[in-house]
Amino acid sequence: MSNRSIPPWWTLDNAAKIFPSTGSAHDSKVFRFVCELREPVEPQLLQRALDRTVERFPIYRSVMKRGWFWYYLEDSPLPAQVRREELPPCCPIYPSVRRSLLFRVLYYRRRISLEVYHALTDGTGALNFLCALVYEYLLLRCPEELPQPVPVLPYDASPAQQQADSFQKYYEKPKGRSMGRSPAAYQIRRERLPRNHLAILEGRMPLDQVLACARARGVTLTELMTAIFLRAIHAGMRVRDRKKPVVITIPVNLRSYFPSESARNFFATINAGYDFSRGEDSLEAVLKEVRRSFRENLTAERMRERMNALCALEHSVPLRLVPLPLKDVVLRIANKIAAQGVTASFSNVGKVSMPREMEKLIHLFSVFACAGMLQACACSFGGVYVVSFASPYRACETERVFFRELARLGIEVVLTTNLPPETEVR
Amino acid sequence: MLYCEKCGVYLSGSMERCPLCQGAVTGQPEEDAYPPLPETARPYGLTVRLAGLLTAAALTVCAAVNYCFPEGGWWFLFVAAGLGSAWLLTGVALWKRRNPMKAIAWLLAVVPALVLAWDWRTGFMGWSINFVLPCFIPCMQLAAAGAARILRLRPADYLLYLSICILAGFFPLIPLFCGALWMIYPSVVCAGISAISLSALLLFRGPALKAEIIRRGHL
Repeated sequence: MSNRSIPPWWTLDNAAKIFPSTGSAHDSKVFRFVCELREPVEPQLLQRALDRTVERFPIYRSVMKRGWFWYYLEDSPLPAQVRREELPPCCPIYPSVRRSLLFRVLYYRRRISLEVYHALTDGTGALNFLCALVYEYLLLRCPEELPQPVPVLPYDASPAQQQADSFQKYYEKPKGRSMGRSPAAYQIRRERLPRNHLAILEGRMPLDQVLACARARGVTLTELMTAIFLRAIHAGMRVRDRKKPVVITIPVNLRSYFPSESARNFFATINAGYDFSRGEDSLEAVLKEVRRSFRENLTAERMRERMNALCALEHSVPLRLVPLPLKDVVLRIANKIAAQGVTASFSNVGKVSMPREMEKLIHLFSVFACAGMLQACACSFGGVYVVSFASPYRACETERVFFRELARLGIEVVLTTNLPPETEVR
Repeated sequence: MLYCEKCGVYLSGSMERCPLCQGAVTGQPEEDAYPPLPETARPYGLTVRLAGLLTAAALTVCAAVNYCFPEGGWWFLFVAAGLGSAWLLTGVALWKRRNPMKAIAWLLAVVPALVLAWDWRTGFMGWSINFVLPCFIPCMQLAAAGAARILRLRPADYLLYLSICILAGFFPLIPLFCGALWMIYPSVVCAGISAISLSALLLFRGPALKAEIIRRGHL
């Protein structure tokens, strides 16, 4: 029986199972990684680079299909094609009018963008794909500027390693009690942008300046940014809302705790919150609480507990037997309830690594995501740290306070946006 | 590069005002990193709305005329049901337009339901189960097989829907065995065609069908 008759298929991993049921036009579950080069992108070469890259990541040649009980990924003959960026950032990929692969590669001037549907992979997986794509592109684009033998890409997992479901590999039946429901957090309620557009505000800054600022306070970069983010949200709250805590959810890469080369989802989340009605609102006070929260939650044992608790739901026999249309409704309601415990999201992807010889050809990497709420993402590359906000709201009050605070701390911020100036209404 | 005095941040791009505070900026503009946001239009939005308006207008006129001249009974309800049926069929076809095989399978469920409802509400003369359904189902089987061939679909993309169409062909046997038919030939032919099609499907595409069922039904 040929592959055409029985194509390869993959069950969705634990984290991915919720995305197709809970996605919508304003919460597309799509995230974008950007690589800005020093020279304008050449589309033909990018297409050749993409063809080579997809060969190395077979699971990227898949489409989403509905089963009777779960969604699943199925290998597809659809070609992966690079396109000039014309659509608004993070437009829905699934469901769409036409069946398509679960990612798109876009180019605009000096930028290569990879937009990925979260059910396919997480930030680390997508970043590995983008790095491989940029690597192949630069090999084709600037062969004369690269030494011989050509540099080697750090990520070299086999297709079997990439396709592995690490949640299944490390899952143990939890012995203790399950995670309790989080208390209700402050919800940002503002006028949304028309047509489900997303306002992107991307601030790049020198990594050494931000690091010095964090080290001077004895905290990590993620802790510093989370604390500034919490305070920025607080600044925009109405007085009557201030009795509720501000809670930021932070995805954690489980590969740091459990060895995995998977190109699929393998993350959990932790929450960091601050109740401004009970404590003082100085940066130091918020930082202290954020630091305590991070130290308490970011341990291998807590991560294992959290992962097992999430996977336990998937392994529950009654839930597995529920037909998919009903599961869609149940998961949508559960997602709405869970969202009540979160105000915004901050994801720090960390340091992006490319072969040293290629670094001079790349200006920066950036990342942002559409999650139906205010979302900030950060990554660093070659001495440049980039924090990007993706917001569905018309007013950018939180972003204004956030970047002004960074400027006040003496950090040189350069902002880029996708919005025309008149979009912001004060 | 541009600079906003008020926010203390540099700005990369060609904006005339600071995106944070809308204040004036100084310095030299640069190329934008993002293209301008497009004006996206909803596909079918205008056509569907116009059709909806025409439907509402037709219904209103019919209701008004029927109300003024009620001698012939409430025929306006038939007009409403007819328009409703047309909208239902169009809606299913538009909703499933990205997957013709799925559209055929859905029409195979919706059309018989509508036909049975119309027959029942018009005195149940049996034209639905004697003629329409036994003729309609093989037509849809042919449409499914044709679409799979014309669109060059992979077995994984059509087998399940084709199976549904074939299995639906045995539905006319229910009224046949219950003795509810006064014209048995169309139903016998329909079931016969379905039996032959099912045999061919199992003999030639059995393993692929089994794999498809395992995929769709995985727990």
